[in-house]
Amino acid sequence: MNETILQLRKISKTYIIGTRKNAAKAQKAIQKLHRTYEDECEKEDSKCRQKTEALLEKAQDLFAQEKYEQSYQLVTGKMINPRPKDRGAVVHALNNVTIDIKKGELVAIVGPSGSGKSTLLNMLGLLDSPTAGLIFLGDLNVTGIKNKKLPEIRSKDLGFVFQSFNLIPSLTALENVMLPLKYAGIAVSKRREMAIKALESVGLGDRLDHTPNELSGGQGQRVAIARSIVNSPSIIFGDELTGELDTNMTHEVMELIQKLNKGGQTFIIVTHNPEVAKMCKRIIYMLDGKIEREKHNN
Amino acid sequence: MLEIIKNMFRRKTRTILTISGITIGIFAFVVMGSMAEKINILVSGGTTYYKDKVIVNDKSGSTFMTSPLSIDKAKEIEKVEGVQAVQAEVTVMLDSIDSISFGIPPMIIGSDDKGAPYESFKLDMAKGEKISATDYGKVMVGSDLVKKLNATVGQKIKIKGKEFEVKGIMAKTLTAPDSEVYMTLKDAQEMYHDTLPTVIQPQVKPEVLVTNFTVYSKEGVDPNTLAAKIDKEVAGVKSQGPKAFQDQIASATGILNSILFGIAAISLLVGGLSIINTMTMSIAERTKEIGIKKAVGAKTKNIMLEYLTEAGLIGLFGGIIGWALGGIMVFLVNSAMEANGNTIFLLTNRLTFFAIFFSVTLGVIAGIYPAYHAVKINIVKALREE
Repeated sequence: MNETILQLRKISKTYIIGTRKNAAKAQKAIQKLHRTYEDECEKEDSKCRQKTEALLEKAQDLFAQEKYEQSYQLVTGKMINPRPKDRGAVVHALNNVTIDIKKGELVAIVGPSGSGKSTLLNMLGLLDSPTAGLIFLGDLNVTGIKNKKLPEIRSKDLGFVFQSFNLIPSLTALENVMLPLKYAGIAVSKRREMAIKALESVGLGDRLDHTPNELSGGQGQRVAIARSIVNSPSIIFGDELTGELDTNMTHEVMELIQKLNKGGQTFIIVTHNPEVAKMCKRIIYMLDGKIEREKHNN
Repeated sequence: MLEIIKNMFRRKTRTILTISGITIGIFAFVVMGSMAEKINILVSGGTTYYKDKVIVNDKSGSTFMTSPLSIDKAKEIEKVEGVQAVQAEVTVMLDSIDSISFGIPPMIIGSDDKGAPYESFKLDMAKGEKISATDYGKVMVGSDLVKKLNATVGQKIKIKGKEFEVKGIMAKTLTAPDSEVYMTLKDAQEMYHDTLPTVIQPQVKPEVLVTNFTVYSKEGVDPNTLAAKIDKEVAGVKSQGPKAFQDQIASATGILNSILFGIAAISLLVGGLSIINTMTMSIAERTKEIGIKKAVGAKTKNIMLEYLTEAGLIGLFGGIIGWALGGIMVFLVNSAMEANGNTIFLLTNRLTFFAIFFSVTLGVIAGIYPAYHAVKINIVKALREE
């Protein structure tokens, strides 16, 4: 139960808007240093790695404090002149975030709008890449993995449930649930069998041929949950998955998630709803792109 | 595949309009192509026919507008070194000049058959027998003229007001003989004599009249060289070897083919652009769906394949409908023109194959840009779309 299945190490996500050239240069230099660090991690060269890690940390700290010229000089040894006339902004959506997710956890990520919780979920779900930091899925460092391999990891190891269900309107419930299996290369007959089983497990065995607009909100979200569990992923990510549901339907969906979690399924949920967070085992509070605190529910 | 077809018809009107664009293009391609195919096969038949012989006309005449020659010229031509045989011929148009139509007009051919032993272009019979040089009052009819002349073997038909017995009906060659009636030289001479101005008619006897000679060369003699030699040694004639046919007819048809296929290509280009437009619109509308598919594991090749297949299917549907409509058009026009003994279209298997292949390829090529755009969509941004 204590096995770590997903790890985020010092993850940062920065968006440079406009012409903040020094920030862009410093970011590029940090990313280059990060690649060196990743190589050293793979080579298990501990002496070099420790040195690079310390340098990287310091450079990232300076970057976070908006001291881009100093950050750039620290990494490259070269000076750049300040550019006070540059327009734009540097947004630190995530700032040095480290998280360990263990198998069988039911984690809620909460925080006000703009706190970085959805960005964090996108990083955890490998939908977006960090500006700096490392992500490990089990023992695999997925930060350095080429984009071509990510879909395979997503189709086999990760499941997603979104706020507005994100079902494809032209497909039936069964076809929507079969979608991840199609991309995982599973044969049609097996796909069908697995999708029916998943829909039955969320109580929708009698709604196989219904299209999304023929289902209620709760039923639609249950189809989305069936789609996320159908390929037995290691982790399922939920982004405001009860955001468009009323209280009864929220409870209905959360009870289903708790039931699946009791069966060993790991969930990470981003939510605004304190009631939903209360139903999770662990709550991570985010503020200004950082983890403010954590709480474990009994 | 079912999902792709469903996606195609989510916006029925738009998809139908796009398919219509391809349909028009392929329709034009099939109709124009059928015309080009007919011309090509006629030219190919002509090239085969003329490859080993020299056609001698009166110097003042042209390829199609003949002036009378005296049959005595045959003796002069025979004396030219390298000549194997000289066949006297009379070629008369079956219809009057005012009813001329597109393609080779129906013709009456009469010959003394002296070249028969050396003729490499063999005519087979569908029904009945071939006429001999002494079968006066008898004809053999080309396959395209059967309907026009209401010809049945053993029955009498009227040609230019005179009655002839049909001795045979020729098998289809897809070239010039299909629209020709063959008779003895004597019968054709009389017919030709009747076409001359009434002032001239009493001054010439029908039996001395010919319109041209077909000269067969001896083995090893180049017919083009022989043509030049005849022109040099026989006064008042103009000779044409295989090269002259190539230069005059085949190269001209090459230009015509280019024009016909050019028109079709423009129609198809417009169709192709409409596919790009439709697919780009579809992808813009389905950005969120593409994001969902990527989030649940769709690879670049899956997305690319889905959209290229959709574009290819638009091309295929347009191609099949366009081919079918083009085929109906070809059939109707050919049927209508068969009564005049002149078909102008030939829808070949290779044209069918190219029409369908081309429409699918066009669809796929037109789909590349939108599909590439689809695979480049950022998942996070796509999922945020409303």
